[in-house]
Amino acid sequence: MKESPQDTADFGYKTVDREEKASLVADVFHSVAAKYDIMNDLMSFGVHRLWKRQAIACSGVRKGHKVLDLAGGTGDLTAKFSQLVTESGQVILGDINDSMLKVGRDKLRDLGLVGNIEYVQMNAEALPFPDNSFDVITIAFGLRNVTDKDAALRSMYRILKPGGRLLVLEFSKTNNEALSKLYDLYSFNLLPTMGKIIANDSESYRYLAESIRMHPDQETLKSMMEEAGFEQTSYQNMTGGIVALHRGFKY
Amino acid sequence: MIEVVASAIVESCLNRLLVLEPELTRSLENCKHKVIAVELRDWQHTFALTYVGHQFIVFSQYQEHADCHISASLETLTKLTNPSLLTQLIRQEKLDLEGDLQLAQNYSSAFSNIHIDWAEHLSRYIGDAPAQQVINSTQKAHVQGKTIGSSFKSTVTQLCQDELKVTIHPLELEQYKMHTRHIKNQAAQLEQRIQLLLNR
Repeated sequence: MKESPQDTADFGYKTVDREEKASLVADVFHSVAAKYDIMNDLMSFGVHRLWKRQAIACSGVRKGHKVLDLAGGTGDLTAKFSQLVTESGQVILGDINDSMLKVGRDKLRDLGLVGNIEYVQMNAEALPFPDNSFDVITIAFGLRNVTDKDAALRSMYRILKPGGRLLVLEFSKTNNEALSKLYDLYSFNLLPTMGKIIANDSESYRYLAESIRMHPDQETLKSMMEEAGFEQTSYQNMTGGIVALHRGFKY
Repeated sequence: MIEVVASAIVESCLNRLLVLEPELTRSLENCKHKVIAVELRDWQHTFALTYVGHQFIVFSQYQEHADCHISASLETLTKLTNPSLLTQLIRQEKLDLEGDLQLAQNYSSAFSNIHIDWAEHLSRYIGDAPAQQVINSTQKAHVQGKTIGSSFKSTVTQLCQDELKVTIHPLELEQYKMHTRHIKNQAAQLEQRIQLLLNR
């Protein structure tokens, strides 16, 4: 029997069963969790720290806010948010992958960040929180791994408080042809080799490069956010559009 | 992206300052979790600074509401190490301030009272006496360098302005800046009028 498009999802350049994608993505992150931070620094030459800084600057997070750092991985954003919201606020570090959550929890505890951080294993498509719960939701380099992105965006909209905002930091499309060629060369040749040498796992890093190419471009993601109900949506390209920061509000 | 890099550098310098001068933590107690935004007129860029108790966080391209918003040129900001100059600079229209004036004064006063005990920090590596010797020599060299630098600057300025005539006088530059600001305002007014006419 032929599968309908609703039953399948992209996993990099492969098409897999929708049900299967979550476990395949989980395998990738179980595999890279231990060396996630060091690989991030090496692969992006440290620039991922600047992209995240910009996301924090645009978040408007203040004392007393309740923040959800979705697909928060090893907690780079949570670390800063925890200091900004203080004891009167709360940050929830959510990730579908327990290996990543464990690495994140250990890292943040080692930094002395305890008290206002909670760790929750969750699926972005069905967030386990009541309506209108959060002032800010961020999802950094996580949306492209979600099987049903529209459902995830609707779920985020539901749990945001009126006046709250969503920030999506994600790889995107560059319009610069020369940069695009260089980027392709880097991500399809150098990246898997680096993954093989450092994390002994070239396949996960090949998936990373492929999943970036399959992710919706800036305008498509913006319209997806609008369809989910977000208003005043906008995006800011960084590093020539290799990464884009999308922002949307719930009113 | 350069601004983000700049904010990261400033943040780590400020956090290093907190380690070198523990007194700063006490001076900034009243500034905790309040955001001060600084718009640099020369760069047309807004940075924001917040002190979260044990470290600083610096934001670039800040567009949110801040407890205190300052707009000034980089040159004016360097004068802010003297808190008493704050109101004077506002009156001279060199600085705009919206929001909590007390917060700006607290920051200005905290940073102007920084006296890092370099000898104490250095003594951990090379011992007390050599550290004091190094600091004394550095201070002497600094004073001498300042005198030589100031005399050299004055000579070069006179040479460039009066003899070689390759640079303009600061007053001429100020006049030119005023002129361009005036034209910019006129252009904005004209644009608004055209917009109004088009919307009719």
